[in-house]
Amino acid sequence: MADKLRTQQQLESLQNKYIGTGHADTTKHEWTSNIMRDSYASYQGHPSMLLYMSVGMGCTVEEVRKHCMERMVLPVGAPPRVEEE
Amino acid sequence: MANTQATQAFYSITLEPGSAPTAACMCSVLPAQSKEQQIFEARGERVFLRRLVIDGEDVKVETMVEHDTFSIVRGVGSFRIPGMKEDLLTISSDSGRMSMLRYLPEKNKFERIHLETFGKSGVRRTVPGQYLAVDPRGRCLMMASVEKNKVVYIFQRNSDGEINISSPHEANQMSALCVDVCPLDTGWEHPVFGALEIDYSAVESDPSTAERPEKHLVYYTVDLGLNHVVRSWSADVDPTANKLFTVPGGAEGPSGVIVCAEGRLYYKHNNHPTMSIAIPTRGGSLEQARNRIIVSGCMFSNKSKRTFFFLLQTDDGDVFKLSMQVEVDQELQQVQSMTLKYYETLPVAREMLLIKKGYIYIVAESGPSKMYHVDSLADDEDEEPENTFTSSSLAEHDEPLEVVTFHPRPEMQFLTHTVDVPALHPLIRTKVDNLTNEDTPQIYAIQGRGDKSVFKTIRHGMSVSDAVESSLGNVPYEQIWTMKRQEGDQFHYYILLSSSYTDKTTVLGIGEEVESLDDTAFLTVRATICAAQMGDNAHVQVHARGVRTIQASGAVVEWPAPTHRTIVAGSANQRQLLLGLSSGELAFFFMDQSGALNALEEYPEMSDKVTAIGIGPTPKGQMQARYGVVGCEDRTIRVLSTDLETPLEARSVQALSDVPVSIEVVTMLDPDTNSSVDFVHIGLKSGLYLRAIIDEATGELSDVRTKFLGHKPVRIFPVEVHGQPCIMACSSRPWLGYHHPVTKQYTLTPLVTSPLIAVRPFISEHLNGLCGIAESDLRIFSEPELGGRFVSEDIALQYTPRNFARNPWYPIFYTIEGDANTMSQATIKTIQEQANGAARPPVGPPRAASHWASCIQALDPITSKSITSTIHLTDNETALCCACVPFESRDWEVYLVVGTAQDLNNSPMKTTSSQATPAYQSRGGGFLHVYKLVDEGKTLQFVHKTRFANPISALTPFKGRVAVGVANELFIYDIGSTAVLRKSRGIVVPNTITSLEASGDRLAVADVAESVTFVVYKAKANRMIPFADDVIQRWTTAATLVDYETVAGGDKFGNLWLLRCPEQASAEADEDGMNGFIVNERSYMGGAPYKLDLRAHIFVNDIPTSIQRTPLVAGGADVLFWSGLGGTMGILVPFISREDVAFFTSLEQALRSEEAVLTGRDHLMFRGYYVPVKGIVDGDLCERFLGMGLEGKQRVAAEVEREVREVEKKVLEMRGRVAF
Repeated sequence: MADKLRTQQQLESLQNKYIGTGHADTTKHEWTSNIMRDSYASYQGHPSMLLYMSVGMGCTVEEVRKHCMERMVLPVGAPPRVEEE
Repeated sequence: MANTQATQAFYSITLEPGSAPTAACMCSVLPAQSKEQQIFEARGERVFLRRLVIDGEDVKVETMVEHDTFSIVRGVGSFRIPGMKEDLLTISSDSGRMSMLRYLPEKNKFERIHLETFGKSGVRRTVPGQYLAVDPRGRCLMMASVEKNKVVYIFQRNSDGEINISSPHEANQMSALCVDVCPLDTGWEHPVFGALEIDYSAVESDPSTAERPEKHLVYYTVDLGLNHVVRSWSADVDPTANKLFTVPGGAEGPSGVIVCAEGRLYYKHNNHPTMSIAIPTRGGSLEQARNRIIVSGCMFSNKSKRTFFFLLQTDDGDVFKLSMQVEVDQELQQVQSMTLKYYETLPVAREMLLIKKGYIYIVAESGPSKMYHVDSLADDEDEEPENTFTSSSLAEHDEPLEVVTFHPRPEMQFLTHTVDVPALHPLIRTKVDNLTNEDTPQIYAIQGRGDKSVFKTIRHGMSVSDAVESSLGNVPYEQIWTMKRQEGDQFHYYILLSSSYTDKTTVLGIGEEVESLDDTAFLTVRATICAAQMGDNAHVQVHARGVRTIQASGAVVEWPAPTHRTIVAGSANQRQLLLGLSSGELAFFFMDQSGALNALEEYPEMSDKVTAIGIGPTPKGQMQARYGVVGCEDRTIRVLSTDLETPLEARSVQALSDVPVSIEVVTMLDPDTNSSVDFVHIGLKSGLYLRAIIDEATGELSDVRTKFLGHKPVRIFPVEVHGQPCIMACSSRPWLGYHHPVTKQYTLTPLVTSPLIAVRPFISEHLNGLCGIAESDLRIFSEPELGGRFVSEDIALQYTPRNFARNPWYPIFYTIEGDANTMSQATIKTIQEQANGAARPPVGPPRAASHWASCIQALDPITSKSITSTIHLTDNETALCCACVPFESRDWEVYLVVGTAQDLNNSPMKTTSSQATPAYQSRGGGFLHVYKLVDEGKTLQFVHKTRFANPISALTPFKGRVAVGVANELFIYDIGSTAVLRKSRGIVVPNTITSLEASGDRLAVADVAESVTFVVYKAKANRMIPFADDVIQRWTTAATLVDYETVAGGDKFGNLWLLRCPEQASAEADEDGMNGFIVNERSYMGGAPYKLDLRAHIFVNDIPTSIQRTPLVAGGADVLFWSGLGGTMGILVPFISREDVAFFTSLEQALRSEEAVLTGRDHLMFRGYYVPVKGIVDGDLCERFLGMGLEGKQRVAAEVEREVREVEKKVLEMRGRVAF
């Protein structure tokens, strides 16, 4: 039992430390959101990627960055409504 | 490293580093001149320290240091720790470390004084590094990540002057996205950092707020006493906010921050009511209603006058001056109102810097960065009252403000453009081609954005500007000398021109003008072999029959050549004259104090006919040079002693590959030892140039470097450029040999000018330059700017270029251009007509949502250097790809085929679903336009266009037809009379085809996400069969077939790779008929039956957009030339021998441990960012060896078991052999 508790605690500390660490009940929405947030963060962190997108989209780099930032809030749309049982 | 041995390995070098800026700041790093400001900027993976040099009228931006950090630089900062004399620098990168640097002026290098690890390396969501904010008083800095994490480091300086850095203080907040961070100016109170944050957990629980998620301005106070960071204040701000600016605090201002949001600016502080002002929008009928955002800005505060203002730039490029009216009320500074005044329209900046000398530096997002002189700060309130807006509104973000409009000026009023810092980003495509039959091919490039786009012809070299060019008539002169009247003179007076063909010498005098002198004592009826001003005021002219000495008094002394012998070569310095006679003997003279030449009695004989002689320059304070060098017909050179004790004693011999035609000994500064060293420069008949060092004590030659300069014999002339002794080597092109001002390396760079036969220095009252003979002209030109590597000519384009193609027969290029969200010419015209001419002409192309402006242009970069034909696309179409296609059915006539898209929506701004979307979305599908090329390709004639269901993304000529990539379908089309006719169709890739390359029956098809697929076209069955694909997803942006089986390409994440088709697959694919094995082969892992082998891979931190196999220099082997969007141009050089691979691999390894990366990034990890480096040695790291200190060089050389000189030579030759 103690072992299980420790595992649980370790998992929790991991989840706290590293965003996106999953758990047994990770939903598809959580998982995809996490991936998309990672992607948007990566776009912002790679200056050449921002430039690439800004040339394609015909707007400034700052606009693309702002857009990527705002998309991180709900990157894959609203979470599905949980059906009450 | 076994892999690099097994197959072909490559050596990757950067020809031109990326110029796309990421961050910049002002600093003053020189302790001796603490008032001087420098610019510290990050471009690509390099950091630069530059300074503004103002020399009277002449203003230039000088690079002090350029340093490759081998990491993705994301932010730079500078700060001055209280009590210090100079600023320290910091770089935030992807290394997961905070690095603090100091500039060492004596070594001209950065020194890393602190490196603190706070997280994992790489660009990660929760590892700080994205934002960097430094306390204005230099007490601490904050680094923040995009989500959750923030770390603060506190600096302290102890009594010994050492800088201590605290352990990191974390200020983490779960599910908080950070939009921007800026420091607050709190005077000497506890430092505070302001952060713009979004809490997404609130939105996740209540998705109805997702449209406008709440944004907060959060203050983090660094408690220096308690040594911790607390979240001290938070307030709601505009949900569209994107940027923060620090407002001066302490005695200078009210402190707080400016929050920039869409269409509005706010002033916020924890003890002050919020103030707001609307950002004016451009007025006029051509402008659509749209809120502007602030993309960059800078703050200026005058501490003594206690005034401050901001310059803020909108996404249109309009710069506004924001000033705040502050009233002091019982020690509390209250902002009464804010004023925005339209200042200027400048290129959109990544970073805007104000230099205290009165300049604004725009680190431009695209194209060259610009320096402007500030003529006026627009302080006059009466000026342009219609463009001045004041607000004392206390409105919060939920209360609307009145929309205000202004009119931008097309001309600059307050600023003057002074100087450009050249940059190539965004470099859309390049093509290396030799259209002019020069020695080396030129690089043709399309570059830029919007109306600033250009077509560039780039040549390696330095430009010179002609001052005088006058014809010399039909006499073929081949030698020129410039001489002073006497030794101490500042200016040159005589120019001697000699022609051996007509056996004549012409004397010119330099006065107000250059005019011929008839009554000099110089012998004009013979060709001159050598002429010099010797001694204090004598002139010596050597001709075939003798030596003529002309004294200042006018007395002429003639020394006749020994009987039956003529003089064939000669060289003189201030005191000595060494001549070669036709018999292979040498004659040696020494000039005494009286100005008379004393000949040596003996005539020592050489092994063969003398072809060239060079004698060293007289060292300062001495009478005689130590060594002379004599070159003979038998392909040898001999170093002879020239001092009077042991005259003409042979010291060393060196064999050459060809006959030397020119030898010069020049004393140059050796950067390694920082001492003067005699270099001997030798030009060979074969066009080879050699440079060696003469050992001062023994006269031995060492450290021989060679370079092929051109197909003509190389003649060498010592010159002086910007006070530095240099040489000009004239072959089919003139080359300048000099020590590079930044890298200190000995560099050979051609001059971009017509071929020169001979060159000499030319110093007159008006010009400090060079003069030379070019064909039948005398040319006098300015000194070239040392350090420049490329010369480019621009042709302006209309919109952002997307691709280009070359006419296979004529030197004509076709560019396709398109701008998203931009109003097309036709629409502008319609609107202007509706307004009956009342509409003001737009400043820059007006923006219009989901509107495309696109055109196809033909241009001639060689003769007329202009656009020859333009076709504007209508109906919201935009061109995506183009190719010149010879159609077999039209007797191989070449047509221009252009693929377009209609109503294209490639901006993901509107997509809301998470589904993977195709690269191009378009309602209207696409068209294939066909244009006939008439008038030698200069004019485009529309033939027909054919509708497709999807946008056309790739085109290539294929076996007398055209291969077309439309989304994931591959077609083969032939030309018809009213439309193109489909011949074959196949689905070979999963997503969208981005590039097509053909070779025989084979097509290399690149997919937007799924790497490259090899496809074979079976003509008999009319089928296209994919037979080999890749196992890794590569988001291909450029690909080319290097040979029949190998494809080289680059992807969106900044990788370069080479893939090779397995031999068996390649052979099977080419088997005849359809019964072959390949059709029936089972698909493997859901793809083609065979998989491509990865042969080489490297991360280059720029998105490669073009890649091409081509030679780059005369006589050079083929290399893989690539160019990236950020302006990088680089090459992959195939290694020729295994020993080289082993050597460079071990050198790279030794350098990795020896050369500390500034940001603390692991070099191997960086080059293997996504996929481990394979089969490629990083030449940029190897070239670091050249810039190391002598001690470090020795350590590394010992590691690889070579001599330092040998390593240097190998590193330099690796580049010099194939590139510049």
